[in-house]
Amino acid sequence: MFSKILIANRGEIALRILRACRTLGVGAVVAYSEADRDSLAAQLADEAICIGPADARRSYLSAPAVISAAVVTGCDAIHPGYGFLSEDAAFADVVRAHGLTFIGPPAEVLERFASKEATRRLFEAHGLRTVPGSTMLRDEAHALVEAERIGYPVLIKPSAGGGGKGMRLVRTSAELESAFKVSRSEAKAGFGDDSLYLEKYLEDNRHVEIQVAVDRFGRGIHMGERDCSVQRRHQKIIEETPSPALNEAARQELCTRAVRAVVEAGYENLGTLEFLIDAKGDAYFIEINCRIQVEHPITEMVTGIDMVALQIRIAAGEPLGIGQSDVVSRGHAIEFRIVAEDPGKDFRPQAGQVLGYLSPGGVGVRMDSHLYSGYEVPSYYDSLLGKLSVWAPGRAEAIARGDAALRELLVDGLTTNIDLHRAILANQVFIDGKVTTNLLDRVGSAPFVAAGNR
Amino acid sequence: MPQSRNDGNATTGRSVGPRAGTVAAAGGPVAGGRALDSRTERDHEAISRLAGDVLPALIAKLSATGLGEIEVRDGDWKARLRKPAGPDRVAPGAKEGHSAHGPVPGRVLAAGMAERERRQEQEIAEPATRPIMATSPAVGVYQPRKDLAAGMRVRAGDRLGTVDVLGVREDVVAPVDGVIGVGLTEAGEAVEYGQELIRIELPENARGLDASGSDREAAAVLGEA
Repeated sequence: MFSKILIANRGEIALRILRACRTLGVGAVVAYSEADRDSLAAQLADEAICIGPADARRSYLSAPAVISAAVVTGCDAIHPGYGFLSEDAAFADVVRAHGLTFIGPPAEVLERFASKEATRRLFEAHGLRTVPGSTMLRDEAHALVEAERIGYPVLIKPSAGGGGKGMRLVRTSAELESAFKVSRSEAKAGFGDDSLYLEKYLEDNRHVEIQVAVDRFGRGIHMGERDCSVQRRHQKIIEETPSPALNEAARQELCTRAVRAVVEAGYENLGTLEFLIDAKGDAYFIEINCRIQVEHPITEMVTGIDMVALQIRIAAGEPLGIGQSDVVSRGHAIEFRIVAEDPGKDFRPQAGQVLGYLSPGGVGVRMDSHLYSGYEVPSYYDSLLGKLSVWAPGRAEAIARGDAALRELLVDGLTTNIDLHRAILANQVFIDGKVTTNLLDRVGSAPFVAAGNR
Repeated sequence: MPQSRNDGNATTGRSVGPRAGTVAAAGGPVAGGRALDSRTERDHEAISRLAGDVLPALIAKLSATGLGEIEVRDGDWKARLRKPAGPDRVAPGAKEGHSAHGPVPGRVLAAGMAERERRQEQEIAEPATRPIMATSPAVGVYQPRKDLAAGMRVRAGDRLGTVDVLGVREDVVAPVDGVIGVGLTEAGEAVEYGQELIRIELPENARGLDASGSDREAAAVLGEA
């Protein structure tokens, strides 16, 4: 096991990793930017070190700053959290070159799964069905030919993208022609790589992902699935497990196929395989996330496994220590992403001071948040304020607990999406477990916002 | 930021003094209705004078003092400059001389807001001649320049030492003209980004901006321009 871990992230996930380190009895140093000097993680940590200015490119995204901080504080491992450098193969490689361990998949594994297009082909070869798509697009003419072959509507996707960023939906050849150039330059600007590919757009699909863990010895387990169909512009808002879209047989089949595929493909550490499930119930693999995910708490709530601790242990070279039969999912969990965005103003991100903060409590309630009364939310980073997760023996009780907890949660001084969450919980489509990924974008958030204001 | 309320002496028509407010070169009277050519011309003249003469002088003045903000009035015009938040104005509550701080119980629990207010009060209460610090440009290992000694005169931008970031040296530079004061960090120590390393004492004539001296100071600055 490591003696001391540098936490190279911020916000709620920095706090989450700090908690895992303490439970494992491992030292931790929180690396923070100048804008995060007052952050909860920096204040609660036994050690904290300022690695650069507010601009993430010179702090959380700067490999030299992060590694230098780890070296001078005597750390032997770096936890990158999610986002920032968490899936950067080159960073993982440099970390290793400095005699430190990157907590995540080894550099060569990240490298193998870096390209989405190559990953789809690899998993196809290992028995996962993928959404019909194109190879890398050479030019516009190539894109038009491929789109015709796949059949409209299609999504234009940047190979280096993630989290729905940079994707474009086109329904006709004319739309494709006009969107192609913009997508290419956006991908170049956003990800430093302008490679694009096409994917068939499945209307009324659901987003279901399988959580897996594979140790260095090639033993893998799955920890069930998460349904992330409540989205707005490809950004997840609410996640739940188990998915209302799968029956027990379908769940077992998908999870078993997923874990077999990642083990065969040589994956290591925690990973999430994302699938789209169409109206017929067929699951199509879309991508793998090689990191701890924002929505991991709901899996922890139903399985009782500390996933960050597991991730650290795998990176330290330990065997899983549990087999598939030891993973027992119990009950139903729902997570609400609490963000500083104003649903009434096109979800514009908010920054400013939290005048008052009250975290909810009660049976089956978990709050992962870096907020405190008086905290100044900086404007430099994403708008996530925290994650409220609830657990109950069944889905209906989980919804009721979620609503009760949302009513208790108070974030004074900032506009948040708390009311939107309550409105979604009260919506019949959600209650019936029939939300598809396009629901919020199709009907708009306005009816939900209006309902939430009543 | 230091906010000693000293508006200088407005009767001279031109005054310099530290003031609270925002970064702005605020315009004077706006021509109403049809624009008057002569007024427009006057405004253009004023803008070019502000940009060409007054602002450079103000910038020089601002960096030579411990002031956080400075303002100048010239006829109908005024220009106000404020130092950006940066490593050289790290809150006094921040640690000194350590690359990493230990647990600070009570810091969180005192609730950020009260803490923040307390800090702001401290900052306000601080004299305008607060010491200037050369700070670390990066997280790494600090080495001062071999010949660096207290009492040595340095110019703004002079290299005072380096911080080694994984074998790449980044320069520690003097933020202002001044005299090397006490060093806060030993050679070979690990430092964090923005950490205060060397105190820079200001030359006597640039120090202090009390009520009696402000006119002379103002005249001197604008005279240079």
